[in-house]
Amino acid sequence: MSQRQPPNVDGGKISRRDFLKLLAAAGTVMTFTPFVDWGKFLPNPKESSEERSKVVLPDGSQANVNSFEVNHAEAIVYPMSEDPVLNEEAFRTWQFIRLPPELGGEKNDASAFRMYSMVCLHLWCLWKYWPDDGRKRGECPCHGTMYDPLTGVAFAGPAALQAPPSNVLPRLDLEVDDEGNIWIKPPNWTPSGNGVVGYGRFLT
Amino acid sequence: MGVSLHNKDNSLVRLFKWIYTGFDRTIFMGLKFTLPTKFVSPLGFLGMLTFVVFIILGITGAFLMLWYEPILDRAWDSVSKINDTIPYGFHMRNIHYHASNAMVMLAILHMYYQFFSGRYKIRNEMLWVTGILIGVLTILEAFTGYDIIFSERAVLAISIAASLTNSIPILGPDMMNAFFGSGFHDFVLRFYAFHVFFLPIVLLGLMVVHFPRFLVFDVPMVMAVTGAIMLTGGVFPIDLGLKFDPTVPPGVTVPEWYLTGLYAFLRSAFDKFTTGVLWPGLFIFTLLIIPFIDRYKKFSWKDRPIITALGITSIAQIIITTYWGFYIDPDRTKSLLERLVIDPIFLYTVMVVLVPLSFGFTYLMIKLAKNAEANAKKQKPAEKNSIQLPAKWLYILFIVLIGFQVYLNIAAYYAVLNGMKNYSLFLIGILMLVFSGMFHLYRHSRGLTKSNVEVVTTNKRKFVFPSFGAGSTKSLPSKTAKVGELSDSSDRIFNAPSDKSLDDKKPVPVPEIPATKGNSLSSSSSSSTNSATGVDTTSTTDFTSPNRPNPNLQTNAAPLHSSKNDQDDKKLRQRINSSEPSNATSISNMGRSTTNNPDKNRT
Repeated sequence: MSQRQPPNVDGGKISRRDFLKLLAAAGTVMTFTPFVDWGKFLPNPKESSEERSKVVLPDGSQANVNSFEVNHAEAIVYPMSEDPVLNEEAFRTWQFIRLPPELGGEKNDASAFRMYSMVCLHLWCLWKYWPDDGRKRGECPCHGTMYDPLTGVAFAGPAALQAPPSNVLPRLDLEVDDEGNIWIKPPNWTPSGNGVVGYGRFLT
Repeated sequence: MGVSLHNKDNSLVRLFKWIYTGFDRTIFMGLKFTLPTKFVSPLGFLGMLTFVVFIILGITGAFLMLWYEPILDRAWDSVSKINDTIPYGFHMRNIHYHASNAMVMLAILHMYYQFFSGRYKIRNEMLWVTGILIGVLTILEAFTGYDIIFSERAVLAISIAASLTNSIPILGPDMMNAFFGSGFHDFVLRFYAFHVFFLPIVLLGLMVVHFPRFLVFDVPMVMAVTGAIMLTGGVFPIDLGLKFDPTVPPGVTVPEWYLTGLYAFLRSAFDKFTTGVLWPGLFIFTLLIIPFIDRYKKFSWKDRPIITALGITSIAQIIITTYWGFYIDPDRTKSLLERLVIDPIFLYTVMVVLVPLSFGFTYLMIKLAKNAEANAKKQKPAEKNSIQLPAKWLYILFIVLIGFQVYLNIAAYYAVLNGMKNYSLFLIGILMLVFSGMFHLYRHSRGLTKSNVEVVTTNKRKFVFPSFGAGSTKSLPSKTAKVGELSDSSDRIFNAPSDKSLDDKKPVPVPEIPATKGNSLSSSSSSSTNSATGVDTTSTTDFTSPNRPNPNLQTNAAPLHSSKNDQDDKKLRQRINSSEPSNATSISNMGRSTTNNPDKNRT
């Protein structure tokens, strides 16, 4: 069709047809621009709020530095959902540990506590903390990955062989108020922040 | 397409063309797509629009599947989460809902247009029968869709559907167990499976059979339908209904509008099987056999009075029962049963009375139409009064529309930021409509640059561009140029081999298609005569029918019953040859040459 195009009378400037195409392209872009934002439909909107939330023990009470035993661990749900099915899922399950005395667990501040994702970085089984003498470490039942309770680093087993950040457990930051109640600070779900559940965290 | 047309393609165009030729051996080459280069009435391609809406439903439905949970106590909650929490979930759900209504509506319109224009003839019976099946499945698809929300209304609808299935003699109870399972949990899961897999896969399979070989894809109309769906979603966002609770008495609800007709019969308190299964079954069966009981040789509704009257009767009865199904006595002092039950004698009397009324109405309409036709023949055809804007103003209008789009974009963005979901959906709907108008403007201006319209440039020099664009009386320089002006796809249509199936109607075997015979015409134009003589009616009538569908259809049909087709072909070709200097595009030109074709074609 280009053969029958009119001779360019405007002296080498953009032709009528090309200008029309340009306008049509602009219109098409303008029409489909709003749909870019529709991509937000895909990811799950973050349920965690910007405010700190309670560390709720399985019995329903809030964890307190004065009552939580040293060298002891509990499974915590975070973020807590209205939906009981979602609360059962592994990616919302965290191991809340009060360190053994030799690692500073007797202090009455946040440094005595750790909160790690229970999802093993190897193949997503649920590991847990064993307080017995001679263990005092996180152990995964599936392939035997062992986690250091102080840092969350996998020091033995398959996860220990994975390249960073997939050898360090995601961790939630804690704080203690005047009454000794323990709170979870708003997390930053990035590998260099609090880590990504099931993927890992860069040890800073 | 001419050889000379490719020399200035850029690499992207060449890539597309390379991919396009790569489809040469695939089934897709059996389909001829036409992108109209000017406005054509959407009545001719309502089926394509229905299919486009089906695709929209598929896409939005697939996205909704990411969040919907077909579990008894979670179904309604997940829909509620989609509607209220998930970003753009409201948009997806509303588009899905309103597109489902649009699909049913377009399918019904499509069916009646084909019905009245007699398109189910000329070996299109299979298309018609599959179309009816697709229509039934479409309604089932929509029905299963609004049931799996599992609101109060959904449960009422399911309970009615289950009891209707159960009422079928012999097979009924087993069918109910098969389709509904036992209990609410099975309902939800099974209806979900039907809704997202069984029914769509069967629909797609039937669509493969149903597709004619010639398809019209009109971008502005497709975008307008999409925009209208979004706009409707913005103005009338669909609610969730109340979550079903077996201990709470449900309110009075009516089903979706395409089922209220059936609902009216059910409410007449007559036998369940008769009203809910037999009547709709009879209706569907009648539609299925229509092509086989319609023995009229002509196509136009004016020439098939009984069939037209049947169609009008069915429309009248559908309208009346649909409205009746919606109507519930608002007097709350009466008992619920009294408010709901429709007196069967009253209902059936009205239905029966509608028959002679519709037949009378049809008789009147045919009389009036024939009168008008006769009058129109006496008078000179009125000049088409098209809007003639100077090219400059077209550009200005184009730029204004782009500016409007920029505004709409910003407004839609802020609407989302402020949580005004329905307003943003409304604005995006408007955006689609603006795009549709813009695309029309684009193709109009594109046609303008190569038409005979005098283009006044800034240098005040005048150019006359050879073409057959509207509004010119100048004759064309050459035939090849004229053919070249057709869009690529239409060119493909005309080069398509003639339908072999028509050959067996002819007593004398015709060895060659006319295009290959030696004559003065170029191959394209000779094969276009081919299509004009009614072999490839689907596409040509699509273009011509909006203006004067009836004589056209008639004459298109004529060669089918002719015993001297090739002679007619030659005559027609000559006629087209001689009728070059015309105002119309070549496509409507062809249509006209066939309409001028006297009835002597028919033997």
